[in-house]
Amino acid sequence: MKKYEAVIILNPNLSSKVSEFKKDFEKLLSDNSFSIAKIEDVGRRQLAYSINNHNKGHYILFNLEGNPSKLIELETKIKYNESIIRHLFIVVKEHQGKDSSLFTESKNKKSEPVDIEVEKERKAVKPKEDQQNKEPEESSPEKVDEDGEE
Amino acid sequence: MSKYELPIRFDHKDIDVLKQFITETGKIIPARVTGISAANQRKITKSIKIARFLALLPYTDMHQ
Repeated sequence: MKKYEAVIILNPNLSSKVSEFKKDFEKLLSDNSFSIAKIEDVGRRQLAYSINNHNKGHYILFNLEGNPSKLIELETKIKYNESIIRHLFIVVKEHQGKDSSLFTESKNKKSEPVDIEVEKERKAVKPKEDQQNKEPEESSPEKVDEDGEE
Repeated sequence: MSKYELPIRFDHKDIDVLKQFITETGKIIPARVTGISAANQRKITKSIKIARFLALLPYTDMHQ
């Protein structure tokens, strides 16, 4: 038995089906005799770079405990699950009791009221026609004095 | 003493800590510049690389 920390990035288009996915995934874990110590649903996050043309991802963190040989089976199943765009399992000595900084950050964001500034002023900026009397510039014709050869 | 905030335990999810050790272009700042202990530099480097894989940190600033 080893302790694992797992990070799973879901397809952001399936963000609404997360609870569904979680149930399926928990079942998959329990089928492979993994015990779940903790789940942190971080939610949608901006990715630092695009993965498979996705700019956002739904992060879910797991603290697991299970058998290494079962993990290989689990990973092959994850590989063919198209809703997962990236996953990572890391062996840890001890699980961290605290919430991860990612999770607390996302919680703080949710608690803050999101101000959606709707720009009402969509008036087309009318170009002010400056009624400037265009003074005919008295262009002084510059006479290029060509050096006439004497 | 140190100008960096070093946690007791390094974590690839703790982006704010790791961000201190990458440049604007996303490179890992070398140990001779950061001046932290070799053991800590190794841990930080490892967790930065994991964070990059998880798209929490950029590999470079040239991502499209």
